[in-house]
Amino acid sequence: MRTGSHGRGGLRFVSIAIPIAVVLPLIVAFHWTRLGWRDGHVNYPSRPSGYTQIVNRFGQPCNAEARAISMRWTAADTGVTYSFRFHRKLGGRPTAMVSDKGGRSTNLDNDVYGHIQNAHLQPYIKHGIYGYACRAKRNSNEWSTHAFGIAVDVSSAEEYLGKCTSTINRNHASIWQGHGWYWGLAFCDPMHFQYAINY
Amino acid sequence: MKRRQAVVVGLVVGVTASAGVIAAAAGKAPVRPSQGPPVGPMVRADTGAGELLLVVVGGVFSSRAEAEAANETLAFGDLQGYYVVPVAQFQGFRQQVGEPSDFALVSAFRTEEGAQAFVELAATFGNTATILPERVRSLGGLYAGLGQEASPDGTGPLLGPSEESLP
Repeated sequence: MRTGSHGRGGLRFVSIAIPIAVVLPLIVAFHWTRLGWRDGHVNYPSRPSGYTQIVNRFGQPCNAEARAISMRWTAADTGVTYSFRFHRKLGGRPTAMVSDKGGRSTNLDNDVYGHIQNAHLQPYIKHGIYGYACRAKRNSNEWSTHAFGIAVDVSSAEEYLGKCTSTINRNHASIWQGHGWYWGLAFCDPMHFQYAINY
Repeated sequence: MKRRQAVVVGLVVGVTASAGVIAAAAGKAPVRPSQGPPVGPMVRADTGAGELLLVVVGGVFSSRAEAEAANETLAFGDLQGYYVVPVAQFQGFRQQVGEPSDFALVSAFRTEEGAQAFVELAATFGNTATILPERVRSLGGLYAGLGQEASPDGTGPLLGPSEESLP
């Protein structure tokens, strides 16, 4: 008798748990748009080609605008939240998901980030995330695009410089590319996305 | 005849009006804000000889080969991290480090903000970075990363001595 009761309880549990297990991820998974996120696509600067155009559009390396906007992004593998800065022209404009940071466009912190969340690709954002840095390129004396606040590196430990294939960032590279970002895989730097070409 | 006159008058009025609109637009063209002096795509190899600099240290070694090998293993993504230099090129360096050493991994700065930003960048990659408590005097020598910090006026990199770096 007790065994029968346990059996019915188990069946009831299973009959409740299975629908929850199926429905809950669907509810949670689409929260980004449910919370009001939209691809704003507002006021993107045109993408410069070469050093002179980069300076004309974004200013000198290490200028104040290059680090004017900040955002946070959590690495899926370690749970570490990185805070990094980028150019005022590439984000920081208020939207349903982004507070007013004094930025000019919706590009990075609303559109690119939102698309990645909405497409459930956050698991492919791994540790080693950074943006603005007033530094030269590695083993070079050329200014890095990071010095202009127009480059972001993600999953940098796994998608290291010199690796000419991509295992992680290839899952969301098309989102960056669809918003004007050039992927560094072309020059064996798969962690790197920059808002410029020919540099 | 009247038609020809009308065409001529129309052309004159049209051309004059267009010229006026173009001139007005040119007069109102926004002036591009100053972006500071052009610095060029290359980081200048400035040693800051004679200046008092802040030095961020990533490690000290007894030989150049050891220092370079250690530097190769330090990840800074696609950015330049430390530079390998002989410690003798900074007056006051040895006394602060306290370890017998001839070479070090360093990056030199003129401002506290610049040094701190580099420490934070190093931390992002899990690298050790220590700012020496006292400024050291640069005696010239090899390039140690100077100039890779923002100028306090916000126009670009700091390419010359600051108040704090002048002896």
